[in-house]
Formats: sequence, structure tokens, C-alpha cells
Amino acid sequence: MKQLEELKGKGFDYLKKITAVDYVEYLEVLYIIFNMSTKKEELVRVKLPAESPSIDSVMHVYSAADWYERELSEMFGIKILGREARRLLLEEWNGVDPPLRKSFVWGKDYKKME
Amino acid sequence: MAVMRINVGPIHPSTHGVLRLVVDVDGDTIKNVEPHIGFLHRGVEKLCETRMYMQNPSYFEKLDYISPMSWDEIYVAAVEAAMGIEVKEAAQYARVILLEFQRIANHLLWIGTLCNDIGQLFTMFMWCFRERAQVLKLLEDVSGGRMFYVNMRLGGLNRPLPQDFADRAYALTDYIKEKITQYEEVLDSNEIFLERLRGVGRLSAADAVDFGVSGPVLRASGIEEDVRKSFPYYVYDKINFSIPTKADGDSYARYRVRYEEITESIRIIRQALENMPNTDVVGMPIKLIGPNAKPEPVVVRRELPKGEGLIYMVPDKQRPYRVSIRSPAFINLSVLPKLLEGAKFADIFAVFGSLDIIFGETDR
Repeated sequence: MKQLEELKGKGFDYLKKITAVDYVEYLEVLYIIFNMSTKKEELVRVKLPAESPSIDSVMHVYSAADWYERELSEMFGIKILGREARRLLLEEWNGVDPPLRKSFVWGKDYKKME
Repeated sequence: MAVMRINVGPIHPSTHGVLRLVVDVDGDTIKNVEPHIGFLHRGVEKLCETRMYMQNPSYFEKLDYISPMSWDEIYVAAVEAAMGIEVKEAAQYARVILLEFQRIANHLLWIGTLCNDIGQLFTMFMWCFRERAQVLKLLEDVSGGRMFYVNMRLGGLNRPLPQDFADRAYALTDYIKEKITQYEEVLDSNEIFLERLRGVGRLSAADAVDFGVSGPVLRASGIEEDVRKSFPYYVYDKINFSIPTKADGDSYARYRVRYEEITESIRIIRQALENMPNTDVVGMPIKLIGPNAKPEPVVVRRELPKGEGLIYMVPDKQRPYRVSIRSPAFINLSVLPKLLEGAKFADIFAVFGSLDIIFGETDR
């Protein structure tokens, strides 16, 4: 997260998106940040292990990270360190597998597992 | 007085969909607002991973059912970028014209519903629908669908433009230009309209950048940022247009920005119609796409009517491996608690309405 803080110091003041991709062997978290004055965009990629991934919160750098981090934690099962990331989209859902991971099985009856 | 907790929604006429707000009020003053979303979650990003490339555009249209063509286009553009497909020149102009008409239709509906939200019931709403219906009629004759068009194909559109398309588009821009002048006369001298919107839901420029809002909400806070200028796509760099901005950052500024965007869209449409070559616009037929897909991920950005849309797509052979959607409405909604700090309870929907949120898109 040091990298993001440095980039913010260089004028990358706008967080466009935090997203992740599950490459099965590892997870990739992607920060798309933007410089409002020079109109330049920068992509910051972070590799995480597939087993019990965790990442530092960047809410103190960009307030926009709030909902993106909540989404990241419920959709990919990534633990956000340094804040409480409550569920956002799937408040009522009981399943154990995070839905956007490739390990999520289609058609499995997640409700009965509880 | 003790703080009272009030639940608003999820089904409420002013939420334009399904939004639940948990509001803490002290008397009539809002202490805290907690939006709860996700009632319309369909798992679009996951669904896309199981479908062939060109089976997906209709899912994207349902993200924003007020301006479906914009999302149709951004997804097809992402596939084109992944496959390295060039869009035909005439089709580039045609797409620009259709997207700007879609923007006009979106903003017209937004003005109508905003007036509903602040208590000017149905007069403006019906006026705006009258004009929007004309735009939808043109888009229907171009694409074949009245509400969901699925009009984009790789490299172009799904069928040739109608013979009289240019004449009708010109006539339509004249018609809209005349009508929105009447809106200005009715709204901008209306005491109630001004009182309800001026100074309400103020967002400073620094906060707007920090909270990552985009589109008209960002520009109403005085930041001049438009994807059509900073990452020009199609023929936007050949077209002369300006970005309306307002410094106030309140609900009224957001109305003015959108109102002026309609005028700018008309300018863009007219210039594009003048320069459009009279050649073929039809793209490739829908078919399976083989292994010529590039493995590198692509980022595609577009200025959608509601803000900046972005698709991050990791392509695979037959299907996308991962499609990630940046929804402008999602992040514009996340700023709502900030806007409502210390506001009055009755202002909730005057502020919420001014953000132009659509729940197909926030929940995905």
C-alpha cells in the first residue's frame, strides 16, 4: 500500500476502481488510479496467495475505496486488514465460497449447507 | 432530543428501484444515513464468464435500463479491443450519434424524475417523456428494439441505418432544442424548484475527487473531467464540443450540468451527421470467436450518461475469463451519506434524485 501512498503524493488523487481476478494459483488485486490534473492513468497490481488472502485497507488514502473493499471481501473472500468490511451486495447470503472465485460451483445448493 | 432510527425503502416510489436507507434523525436533522443495496444483484460479472462473448451484450443492457445502448457499446468495445477489431469509419460516427441520443434520452428522463422527487408532480415528467419517446422511436427504427437494442456488433452495428436517418436525426435535434428551451423557462424561474435544489447536498471539489464520483456529479463540483476528452474514443477528438462544469456542487448545479450536456450532445450529433461518410456500417455477424483472442487484459473506458464506465476484461478463448465492471452509479451512490450530513429529512430524495442512480447497475 506504500506504492499507492507514494502515487497519491505524485498527484494520482482519484481512485477509479479496485477489482480482482482469480487466476486459480494466485489472486490479483488491481487498483486503477487516475491523476486529475495530468489526466494520466496508472494500474497497480498486487499478487495475493489463493489460500486465505488478505490485503491492507487503502481507505485512509482514498475514501472511494470503502465500497470497493467491501465488495472485494465478499466477492473474493479477501480479508481487508485495518477496517471492518461489512457485506455490501450479498447481505443475506449464507454460502461459504466467495461467488467470484473460480472455486464457486454453479448449481450447488448453498442454502442447505448452513 | 433522542436520535430516532427510520427505515426508508427498499420499495419506495422515489428510490427508482430498490434501495433501503437506514436514517438516524434528530428531530428533522439527519445524523447518519446507511444505504443498503444488493436487492437487484444478478451476478452479471459471474454470468459473463459462462457465456460466449457475443451472448453477453444483453446482460449489459440490463445494467442500466435507462440508457442500455451505452452499456451495450462499452462491452462490445471491450471485446473489440481484446480481439483487435477495427470499427468501420461510418460505424464510428453512427455509434457516436446513437450514444449521444442515448445520453439525451437518459438526461430527459432524469429531469422528469427529479421534478417528481421534489414534489412537482408529473407535469415535467410527462413533458420529458414526450420528448424521450421521440428519441426512443428513432433508436427503435435504427436497432429494432424499443427499450433494449442489442444494436452493436463487432466492428459496427447490427443492420444498416434507415434511409432517412440523417434527416430524421437533424429534425429530432431541432425538436429537442426547442423543447428544452421551454424546460429552462419553466424550471429556472420556478421558486419551488430553486428552493428545493439550491445549496442542498453540497459536495466540494476535494471531496468529489476523494470519493471517486464521476460524470455530471463530478463536473457539478467544478472538476473538468470527461472521458470523451481525456481518453478520446471513436471520432470524439475530431468533434468540437465543451464540457459543462459548475462550481457550486449542489443539486441545482447537477441539474444545470445535465441540462447543458443535452445541448452539447445536440452539437456533437449535428457535427457527426455532417461528417459521417455514406458507407457501410454493418459489423460482423454473431459467431463463435476462436483462438485468435489476445491473452492480455484490456481496459475500456467510456463516458456513460451517469458517469465514467470502465470494463476490465481478461479474455480467454471462447469466453471472457473475467469481466469487471466499474459502475458510475455504484460509486456515486456511496457518497450519499456524505451529502446528507446535517441535511433535513425531506431533502433525502432531492439529493438522491440529483445523483441519477440506477439499481441494475449498482447491484449488478
